[in-house]
Amino acid sequence: MLDALRIPEARPRSSAAPVLAVRGLSVTAGGRRQVLRDIDLDIAPGSVLCIIGPSGAGKTTLLRCLNRLVDLVPDLTVSGDVRFHGAPIYARGVDVDALRARIGMIFQQPAVFPGSIADNVLFGVRHTGRLPRRALPERLERALREAALWSEVAHRLDERAASLSVGQQQRLCLARALAGEPEVLLLDEPTSALDPQSTEAIEELILRLRERHAVVLVTHNLGQAERLADSVACLTVRSDGAGELEPR
Amino acid sequence: MRRWTDRAVWLACALCAAVVAALLAGIAGALLWRGLPVLGLGFLIHPSSEAGAAGGVRDEIAGTLLLIATALAVAVPLATGIALVQAEYLRNPRARRRLLVALYTANALPSILFGIAGMIVFSRFFGWGKSWLAGGVLLGLMILPTLSVALIERLRSLPPRYREAAAALGLSRAQTIWSVLLPQSLGGLLSGALLGLARAAGETAPILFAAAVFSGAGFPAGFRDSPVAALPYHIFVLAQDSFDPAVQAHLWGAACVLVGLVLGLSLLALPTRLRAHEEAWHA
Amino acid sequence: MKRRWEVTALLSWGFSALTAAVFLGMLALFAVESLPVWRQAGLGFLTGTSWFFRARQFGVLPMVYGTAAVSAVALLGAAPLGIGAAIFTAEMLPRRWRLAAKTAVELLAGVPSVVYGLLGVLLLRDAVLRLLARWEPLSGDTLLTGGLLLAVMVLPTIMSLADDALTGVPAPQRLAARSLGLTRAESIFKVALPQALPGLASAVLLGLGRALGETIAVFLVIGRQDNQWPEHLLSLRPLAGAGQTLTSKLGGSETFLAFGDRLHWAAITGVALVLYGGIALVSLIGARLSPLGGRRA
Repeated sequence: MLDALRIPEARPRSSAAPVLAVRGLSVTAGGRRQVLRDIDLDIAPGSVLCIIGPSGAGKTTLLRCLNRLVDLVPDLTVSGDVRFHGAPIYARGVDVDALRARIGMIFQQPAVFPGSIADNVLFGVRHTGRLPRRALPERLERALREAALWSEVAHRLDERAASLSVGQQQRLCLARALAGEPEVLLLDEPTSALDPQSTEAIEELILRLRERHAVVLVTHNLGQAERLADSVACLTVRSDGAGELEPR
Repeated sequence: MRRWTDRAVWLACALCAAVVAALLAGIAGALLWRGLPVLGLGFLIHPSSEAGAAGGVRDEIAGTLLLIATALAVAVPLATGIALVQAEYLRNPRARRRLLVALYTANALPSILFGIAGMIVFSRFFGWGKSWLAGGVLLGLMILPTLSVALIERLRSLPPRYREAAAALGLSRAQTIWSVLLPQSLGGLLSGALLGLARAAGETAPILFAAAVFSGAGFPAGFRDSPVAALPYHIFVLAQDSFDPAVQAHLWGAACVLVGLVLGLSLLALPTRLRAHEEAWHA
Repeated sequence: MKRRWEVTALLSWGFSALTAAVFLGMLALFAVESLPVWRQAGLGFLTGTSWFFRARQFGVLPMVYGTAAVSAVALLGAAPLGIGAAIFTAEMLPRRWRLAAKTAVELLAGVPSVVYGLLGVLLLRDAVLRLLARWEPLSGDTLLTGGLLLAVMVLPTIMSLADDALTGVPAPQRLAARSLGLTRAESIFKVALPQALPGLASAVLLGLGRALGETIAVFLVIGRQDNQWPEHLLSLRPLAGAGQTLTSKLGGSETFLAFGDRLHWAAITGVALVLYGGIALVSLIGARLSPLGGRRA
């Protein structure tokens, strides 16, 4: 698969200092079935890493290992090393909630909370950030601008978020994640539920987001990977069902 | 700070769950500890004597079984009719919802109201005196909503391809119902019936006035002036005068038998209901 | 050749009409049978505070108070406990444990009321007597005893329905909240609970309905004392004394006694009418709130 794409693969590079570094990551389900085996990755700041591969290869699981959301799935055991700015995130005593606040995640289906558009965007920041009240409106506008949603909703910030179209909701979720000013953005097939216009809008957005964040994008769309990726990691499914990186 | 709140919340909720678990254990424990010594084959096959201080609960068990069998016979046809109307025949969605609301409201009616109404209708209007048939009918009416709702949910959850396939073959509405829909919904009807029977077996209030007596009920002949003994009524009467320790022991035994019967019926309904829970959770 | 009206359809509609006639007929029956007392006392039946049947005086207010008091105690105990326990099983327990817990709770809900009454008589009564010793109650048969017993009876219902309501909130909502860095408690209280609120409210209302209508268990432990009308409605003192509820009145020997006497019987069926109306009202309000999908009453 990698031969078809003219993009460098994401093997550990000694030059740049990665924001997230993965070494020997393996995930087993129920103690027996191997989901991922021996994954090595570097995620460099200011770049887009695309994780591609067939369904069931473990792309979503891999993504969720990066912000320890995998902890919430019962029966999965994680081994190996994941370092955020050089500090291991699976060590004892790590503040997982603080970690998740510094890493933003967008899911395939936009999960919009009940409440207004403003409520949604500021949802995370209200709980996890130590922002004073007066700084909130500025943060709100900045996040919405970065998510290319400001012009469409600036005049109706108090309206229910559920009244937005699916494409707008996905950008709202993006704004919600961006409001916390995360260093890394994890995107799990963010456009697979969207129509072509919304998809195009989000793809343009990702290219711009790359300037200020490290982006990890899971996609099953090779064309999308070609358009957006600075580097690519390809997961293939071995005979025992485990996902491994396709070697070059 | 947020960490502490998180822990505190977990603790508070775990405490609540512990209280519930303790209640369950306490009730089960009390019943078994006090009731098991009294239980034995003799308890089940001997009639009660000495106004409840001795003997068994043979007649009461028989009476309860007769009552719930009658209730089933009354409730099944009526519930099937209602379910078919709600799930198949009614076109207007608002009417469907109103019918469902009516069923839930009827289910919430206190059972004592059935008892009082039964007294008026069966003892006075029909002149039946105390009658097991009256008791069975009242219990059947009481559990009717439970059966109806169970069947409706099952019918509504059937995938449309069953109806479509039958229609494509040229089956009439009635044929579709009897050959395809009802057979597929049998599980729902069964589990609803078992739950209804469990409830009917334990109810005292509907049979209080029109059907049950404490003593002197032989095997009923005909349905006029032919009352029955019943486990819940037996316990109810004895509980009001329970200072004799022999009576108390007898009471625990009777309660064990009743709870055992109710539990047994509920447990039989379990496999079907667990499957429905699973399906709902994954949906 | 197809008949114009299928037999199945005829039977189904017929049975449905019959059932509707029965339930509405019950209401009409109580209304008609109780006419004499409405004629005699008018609205005074609802507002009167004394019930002396030999003197032909009938007022249901003390019974309404009794019903309200035991139901209030029951809900105050069962609602927080039930919802807290439901949060535990729905949000904090692994799936297999949750199913086991749910089964256990539903079995608890199936215990017949007469058995709860028995437990109340043989166990709870003495405990309450000791608890209230300072206020020198006449016996352990008090409104408080009734309320506590009802709380235990209603707890499984509330817990089971609250659990259903919470699990009805889709998993992606919680996942999104956690991914923003919210703690588990925060994601429960800020995301799951607000969306489960209608279901939780309907769970409590259903519990209330069950408490209002419970006869047998309450009958056995409440003392069945008429005319207990408190001087101050919100004081706790009357809870330490015996009382009467609408249901305990109906379940007693007075019902047999009244059967032959026109006015007395009218008063009894009047109580039944009030009970029917009250429960129907609570139930209809509850139905407004609940989505009524996959709900087992």
